Amino acid sequence: MPAPTRVERHRAPTRPAHIAGILGWSGFLAAAIATMICFAFIDPAAIATGNPPGWWGPRMRVYGIGFFFFWFVGIIAATLSWALAHPRRGR
Amino acid sequence: MHGEVTVPVASLYAAHEKVYPREISGRFARLRSLSVWLLLGAFYLLPWLNWNERQAVLFDLPARKFFIFGLVFWPQDFIFLTWLLIIAALLLFFSTAMGGRLWCGYACPQTVWTETFLWMERITEGNRQARLKLDRGPWTLRKLTRKGAKQILWVSFALWTGFTFVGFFTPIRVLAGEMVTFSPGPWETFWTLFYGFATYGNAGYLREQVCKYMCPYARFQSAMFDRDTLVITYDKERGEPRGAGKRTPQSRAEGKGDCIDCTWCVQVCPTGIDIRDGLQIDCIACAACIDACDSVMDRVGLSRGLIRYTTQHALDHERTRLLRPRALIYATLLASLVAGFIIAVSLRSPVSLDVIRDRNILYKLTDDGQVDNVYTLRILNKSEHPQRYVLEARGAGALTLLPTDRTYFVPSGAVYSVPLRVRRSAYEPLGAETITISVRSLDDPGVHADTKARFLAPAR
Repeated sequence: MPAPTRVERHRAPTRPAHIAGILGWSGFLAAAIATMICFAFIDPAAIATGNPPGWWGPRMRVYGIGFFFFWFVGIIAATLSWALAHPRRGR
Repeated sequence: MHGEVTVPVASLYAAHEKVYPREISGRFARLRSLSVWLLLGAFYLLPWLNWNERQAVLFDLPARKFFIFGLVFWPQDFIFLTWLLIIAALLLFFSTAMGGRLWCGYACPQTVWTETFLWMERITEGNRQARLKLDRGPWTLRKLTRKGAKQILWVSFALWTGFTFVGFFTPIRVLAGEMVTFSPGPWETFWTLFYGFATYGNAGYLREQVCKYMCPYARFQSAMFDRDTLVITYDKERGEPRGAGKRTPQSRAEGKGDCIDCTWCVQVCPTGIDIRDGLQIDCIACAACIDACDSVMDRVGLSRGLIRYTTQHALDHERTRLLRPRALIYATLLASLVAGFIIAVSLRSPVSLDVIRDRNILYKLTDDGQVDNVYTLRILNKSEHPQRYVLEARGAGALTLLPTDRTYFVPSGAVYSVPLRVRRSAYEPLGAETITISVRSLDDPGVHADTKARFLAPAR
């Protein structure tokens, strides 16, 4: 016999903080994978010999900026999925 | 929201209630303690271990080299890292199919650090009853000192964790020196604080919510389960109907089950569930309820195992099959991947050669009818010893290489860049061709690497 709270728990969350947590977290996981794969193949120092943008710098800096960029993109993707999966009902 | 009337029934989401897990000792608690000591011990000590006068385990991101004891991995070896991750994933699938959520209960960093933070909470704020009382009571000096002491422990431990984590990626002895003089680099500082904060938040406050709401594994682990998977279950048949009181032959005759409804299994649960409601997604299989129930059964003189590790088949009085297609497929895949990995790593060439063409000039014609191509070669010594290498090139026509002395000394783990000019008669053979440039060790005759390069020449 499931307790009532258990049933509620499996419904979609409605608290903004919780939703933000989900979006941020799924973006974080995606960014971690993307950063790892991206910088396994691309060496920021090798690119720096060409004509890099102004914010380019030592490897650690580019890794860091890259991670936050992927996180940002991940959050956008997660937010879009969330928005598309939860269309607002007309009132 | 937007002026809607909130009806209590329509509240779709239960507010989070803080879980105060009761401490329990027993077989499985001891097993988890052992696991916590081993895993955290390895985590905190490994970066300090040296091997051949360098850090034994170092994922040197600034230098793009991974050191794991005697092995050095370069970006070119990314396939091995991927391979290792696939092995880890399969190992997780296999252990889940066989033993259920063993990972969650004993090995997951979330469990391991939560356990440590809980221990710090216990030594500062006391046991479950004391903690409940302290949280409900007013802010007295005693509460302030106890909570303050807990925070000091938590924060220092979290910072140490963040520092150790960064120490896997940047040499920890250097980092420690920088920390002492308050001069670490901005990214080192940032990631130390970031990981420290994540540890503090996850192990101190989020705890079981990480497992319930954040963990991807928790969402798909049930796909690996079958009726022969080990799960922690309350034996309903034996326990029900539950009820307080001593079990006597008379109470048996009245049809009472073995569960005395002491609720210890609920009190010890770190995720705050009642295992007697059946298998639940929130259960992280930590077996605290088994320890709790066993100790109560011992006390009331009933046999252990009212809550136990068992399988669905066993509960249904059917035979549990260990060897089943799922298990065999996972095991075979796992074994072949591990064997393949070991073979591939041991057969890995200890030298590698990259060729970069000169980007400014395609080729250069000389006055005496020759054509020149210029390359930059990068020789990578992946072996544990310094080596002397010699460069050679082969093509369809006779090639002259410049400089004439092409012996290079490369220290272990270093990259050496050398310019190479390849000269050939301009029209014999006609046009471009693919040549093979090779590097060979003079110290270790078996060690060599070949790479192809395009040699450009006029087509007519």
